[in-house]
Amino acid sequence: MAGQGIQRREILRILGTAAAVAQFPGFSKWTFACGHVGNAALQIKPAVYHPQFFSSTEYGLVERLADMIIPSDGTPGAREAGVAEFIDFMVAADPEVQYAFRTGLTWLNAHSERRLGKRFLDLPPEQQTSLLEPLAYKEKARPGEDEGREFFHRFREYTVNGFYTSEIGFKELDSPALKFYAESPECPHKDDPEHLHVSHPIS
Amino acid sequence: MPKKIYDVVVIGTGAGGGTAIKTLCDAGLKVCALNAGRRLDPEKDFRFHRMPWEMKFRGLDDPKRRSESYGYLDNEYTKAGWEHEIPFTTAPGTKWMWPRCFSVGGKTNFWGRSSARFGDIDFRAASLDGYDVDWPITHDEIGPYYTRIEKMIGVASTVQNRPSNPDGSYLPPFKFRCLDRILEAGCNKVGVPYLPDRCAQLTQPHEGHPACHFCGECTTGCDVGAFFSTPWFFLPKAEATSNLELRTDALAKNVLTDENGHASGVAYIDRRSKQEIEVYSRSVVVAASCVETARIMLNSKSRRWPNGIANSSGQLGRNLCDHLYGESARGYLPQLVGRPPFPDHVGDSTIAWMPRWQNLKDPQEEKFIRGYSVYPDGGCEEFPGFANELEGFGSSFKCEIKRRYPSPVSFGIQAPSLRSETNYVDLDPEVKDPYGIPVARLHFQWDENVLKMWEHSKQVCAEVLRAAGGVLEDNSDDPQIPGFSLHETGTCRMGNDPMQFVTNRFGQTHDVPNLYVCDASVFLNCTDKTTTISILAFSLRTSEYLIENFRRGEHKAA
Repeated sequence: MAGQGIQRREILRILGTAAAVAQFPGFSKWTFACGHVGNAALQIKPAVYHPQFFSSTEYGLVERLADMIIPSDGTPGAREAGVAEFIDFMVAADPEVQYAFRTGLTWLNAHSERRLGKRFLDLPPEQQTSLLEPLAYKEKARPGEDEGREFFHRFREYTVNGFYTSEIGFKELDSPALKFYAESPECPHKDDPEHLHVSHPIS
Repeated sequence: MPKKIYDVVVIGTGAGGGTAIKTLCDAGLKVCALNAGRRLDPEKDFRFHRMPWEMKFRGLDDPKRRSESYGYLDNEYTKAGWEHEIPFTTAPGTKWMWPRCFSVGGKTNFWGRSSARFGDIDFRAASLDGYDVDWPITHDEIGPYYTRIEKMIGVASTVQNRPSNPDGSYLPPFKFRCLDRILEAGCNKVGVPYLPDRCAQLTQPHEGHPACHFCGECTTGCDVGAFFSTPWFFLPKAEATSNLELRTDALAKNVLTDENGHASGVAYIDRRSKQEIEVYSRSVVVAASCVETARIMLNSKSRRWPNGIANSSGQLGRNLCDHLYGESARGYLPQLVGRPPFPDHVGDSTIAWMPRWQNLKDPQEEKFIRGYSVYPDGGCEEFPGFANELEGFGSSFKCEIKRRYPSPVSFGIQAPSLRSETNYVDLDPEVKDPYGIPVARLHFQWDENVLKMWEHSKQVCAEVLRAAGGVLEDNSDDPQIPGFSLHETGTCRMGNDPMQFVTNRFGQTHDVPNLYVCDASVFLNCTDKTTTISILAFSLRTSEYLIENFRRGEHKAA
């Protein structure tokens, strides 16, 4: 144990990673997102994902909603990170939330037909956005849409969970977590303890 | 064939048991250690730098298992370590969470590593404020044991000259992050201390153990042993002496006694064969952790000890205390919004602390007695948990998550409950575990004093956050339920009077001279500090006292 260098640890890490990933085949984009493992066998990508819980119609709506919540807009979004697969997998594994997801998707389509005469996926993007905004912002909330707001909040939570636990999500945040550092990282702004004069490059 | 008789049977291999095992084996005593679970393999059972997307449920755990999960340490990465086959019950009105790590090394595999000494302000608290009784020990007596333990395990901190916190010998501290500098400035304005925590994490190589690589995964197990745990630090040394026999999956049932009521060994359940096995010894150390220690001793009934072994005082299982945990306030620092990410999580939440600042000059200056400490934390963590509290969706939502990523901060309280007649452990008269052994029943409520600390902390932490230029988002949480902190103390309190205390000032039971207790159950209360380093120091002292008793011929063959 003593004197075990970074390199030795890195080798162990890669071995550990490969072993862990190998246990969970069957995901297309998700497995693809593990491409850094360096094991070609793990990167074989099933052509089509077959949802475990949602019907193919429902799954199309799941994909669209996830894409609207975390879009591909210059950097990869929910689509590239396989978030819809993650949601399907987590809901399939959790009988307690299945009813809420199914009725939530049904509510959204019914709501869409009631207000705009078409099912959600048949609407143009601006109208899809206009339907989601009252569910997402307190100040735009409309009476009678409580059920939809609750569903949207839950769906958004699953989307956030799926995206930011993916390798693509880590890259989007440029996450410094779970890396190795030679020394305890230190604040570089010694002469500005309150950080009143630091720049804010991410806008 | 004559039956084999060990010098000592030690129940438990965690902080208390592990220290006893190493100390006793080093002294040449023949030790049989009983551990309720199995040995862990760091490569398989620790997180081992696995990323969330390499886990089946992304580290969020199988939803079907959710109801079985016990607390924040028992998760998808570490589930091999936590076992809850043995049930417990709660009295009506009691809520209690009891996360148990059955693996070899116990909770030291995954502990939080904050390592402040208890001080005379804690030992003499009763003299200062009139509540309860003093400890039978001073910092002058226990200080040298803390010093030796700090040298063995390595604690990163600074000399701070705080009246509530005796200083020790330290490795270089963790360096302050941007968020620490900002919160420190806020604390200075409010008049509250903000200092490097005492963190048992190796900021440089120490005693043959490698330096930390600051990955921040500590509480899912360290794959290189860069922070103290008994499997990395103590047990290999004990095994190297050839004086140790470690039996795993050995669930201690009761202490055996001879015709005089003295300890003669331990009966345990071999969880693989489900058979009851007896192991014999000249003395016994119980270090199964506070509640389990009480359960084992209460279940050790005989003609001589009808109410549990060493319980002539009737205090066995009584005086249960715990740390109230909770998020006193949370918000974010606008100064850090839009900043590039910074590796804030390398110490896994024990980089800085706000050590007790209340009731220092005058023990009655606040509306409560004693005091609490606070652990601030925040910055770029593994997962942007704050995102679910932002509004909206789409590109603006995605961008806001990125901008806010370095900025969240929160304050976690650690506040001691007071000793109470109504907080205790006994045996459930009806319910038995799968091996037919009566289970522990918990009786516990937060007291008024600790709830006043909680309210106080919410107000002060909000004030600190605002003074730091931060935005307060919420300080209206409820505290965690009792048991969450894993810092329960009491049940075998130490004291000079055999009528009032289970053990003497050395952790030796008053009633049974060859029975010793080496965990937090001997503590009079839990103070505002964490328990582990004190378990180590007190266990070292008790173990050396036991060795001395062997040298003097006090413990003879059964």
